[in-house]
Amino acid sequence: MRPPTSLKKEFLKKWIMGLQLCSSSKKEMSFLERKKAIKLSADVAMASARNATTRWSRALISNASKDDSNKGLVECILGPESESLKRASMSLVLCNKRNRSKKILRKSCSIRRARKSSSQMVMASSIAKRLVKKRTQVLKSLVPGGGSMSEFSLIEETLDYILSLRAQVDVMRHLANATELLNRK
Amino acid sequence: MMNMASPEMLHCLSTSGNVAGNGTDMTVFERQRVRMKWQQEQFQQQQQQQQQSYFGGNEFSMFSMGGQVGQAQQFHGLINGDSAGVGDLLGRAVKADPGLENVWPEFGKLTMPGTGFNVENAGFESAGILNCSGFEMNHTTSRTSSCPLAAAEAKVRESVLPEKIASAVGRESFKKRKADKVQSPKVVAEEETKDKRIKGCAEDGSPRSLRQTITKTAPPPLQPPQPPPPPTTTIEKHQQILQRFQKFKNPTTFMFEHGEARPLTATAWPKEREKISERMKYLQDLVPGCNKITGKAGMLDEIINYVQSLQRQVEFLSMKLAAVNPRLDFNIDNFLAKEVFPACAANFPTIGMSSEMTNPSYLHYDPIQQVATCGAEMGINPAEIALRRTISAPVSIPDTFLDSCFTQIQPSSTWDADLQNLYGPEFHQGRLMSFPSQAAFTGPIDASNLKMEM
Repeated sequence: MRPPTSLKKEFLKKWIMGLQLCSSSKKEMSFLERKKAIKLSADVAMASARNATTRWSRALISNASKDDSNKGLVECILGPESESLKRASMSLVLCNKRNRSKKILRKSCSIRRARKSSSQMVMASSIAKRLVKKRTQVLKSLVPGGGSMSEFSLIEETLDYILSLRAQVDVMRHLANATELLNRK
Repeated sequence: MMNMASPEMLHCLSTSGNVAGNGTDMTVFERQRVRMKWQQEQFQQQQQQQQQSYFGGNEFSMFSMGGQVGQAQQFHGLINGDSAGVGDLLGRAVKADPGLENVWPEFGKLTMPGTGFNVENAGFESAGILNCSGFEMNHTTSRTSSCPLAAAEAKVRESVLPEKIASAVGRESFKKRKADKVQSPKVVAEEETKDKRIKGCAEDGSPRSLRQTITKTAPPPLQPPQPPPPPTTTIEKHQQILQRFQKFKNPTTFMFEHGEARPLTATAWPKEREKISERMKYLQDLVPGCNKITGKAGMLDEIINYVQSLQRQVEFLSMKLAAVNPRLDFNIDNFLAKEVFPACAANFPTIGMSSEMTNPSYLHYDPIQQVATCGAEMGINPAEIALRRTISAPVSIPDTFLDSCFTQIQPSSTWDADLQNLYGPEFHQGRLMSFPSQAAFTGPIDASNLKMEM
């Protein structure tokens, strides 16, 4: 794992860059617009800090680039590698579609299988399995681009995502505090 | 009464027919005529009964149909010919009296089973009586009694009966189902259910046999070769999909084509399982408060909660930043001013010079280079910096700034307690790990200020 500080540094760099871009493009922004810009640039910066090595980052970038208004921002933050990163993210989207159709197939298979077992012993384990399954689905919905991951890769992605989120939260909090202090003084 | 009468009569007739020679023919003929009249009377009686109680009264006459294939064909013809029209059949039954003359020839066409037919047949001379005898044969073979007219009427009613049952029980389902194939099992099922219901009834013998006859007769005629009906339930739809994709019998191999996904259950792959457990352990260390929890579901729950809380924090902080900065200008260099960070001031290079030197286009900024060049510059008034600073100027983020912020950890018990009070129960206790770094950041400021901020 990378040392957290380097991650934070990279994140902060890119984030501030994105924010500068936002502020220069529009002089007057409403509160919500600002919040959106801040969050977006933070997210993209975080994702690019990973340099598209992880799936969630690629998914994040692809989601962000879908919206035309964000494209410029994304490109700036990503820097020179933006084109390759975008291509990587787009291929991910296509993979997702294929996996989704596979999953529909598998679900239809499992529906038939699930009706057969009814013994007491099976009930407990099946309940546990169902719980686990439900929760993995929730986790998949939380982690960006999680819908197409297997269980194992999901855990890895979650790990990385948690680390990045942590770094993001830390930096943002510090910035917020500093800004506030500055404003007060 | 009627049950007993005709077999006896027939028996007498047969005996008389066998015993007597020519003379018996006449007597037999005469007796046939008498019998016909008697049967007509019987039929009229039945007609009256029919009008009184359509369903219950004459059911006992129905089981004359038992075990007779020809009548099954008749039934088949009636059903197929008029499957939708219950009312038509009812009308037919009511019209049985005038329509009997039509019914009689139909019966005449029936192939009569039984060897006893031939015995009596020899004695009859007229074709009209042949019909009648045919009915009699029916009765003898079936060991039931009823006049042929009643049998005809019974046949008509029988055809009506299943329809009536179906209509009474599941008329709507009949209308919905388009395919006959689906209809027939339904008819049978409904009749069987009715059968069970009526079992306790007083007139139980006849309805049961009636149902039996109908169940026997119904399925064979109602199975014309048809294409399978469109899937009406989700199970059938799934099955259809599965049939189409039969080549992908093993879903795991199908998945492995692209080398991506693994089977969801780790049982097939011990290595995978090891890796998964390893990762879960790592997650346990990462996610605070997971040390006590064993089991996948609980762990996943904690992980979900943590990720959600982190995402919420990001949202909240971005909102806060938006509120604090009306113009979205983040001049980090301002933060590095001596006044804000007296503890770390010595480490911070000032950016004042860098702003003049660097390219206004932020795209080309290289903060590390700037830090290197301006490292020596110290002591410039931060106010001047703020004035000179333009929004487009790149922000240099000295490494030292981050180092001082994030690496200095000064935990103290009082500090922790304050933070706990601050953030309340919703924040997980374990997250205090991140707070000490914040404490370092705002070192000189006491906890009360923090509270006000938050």
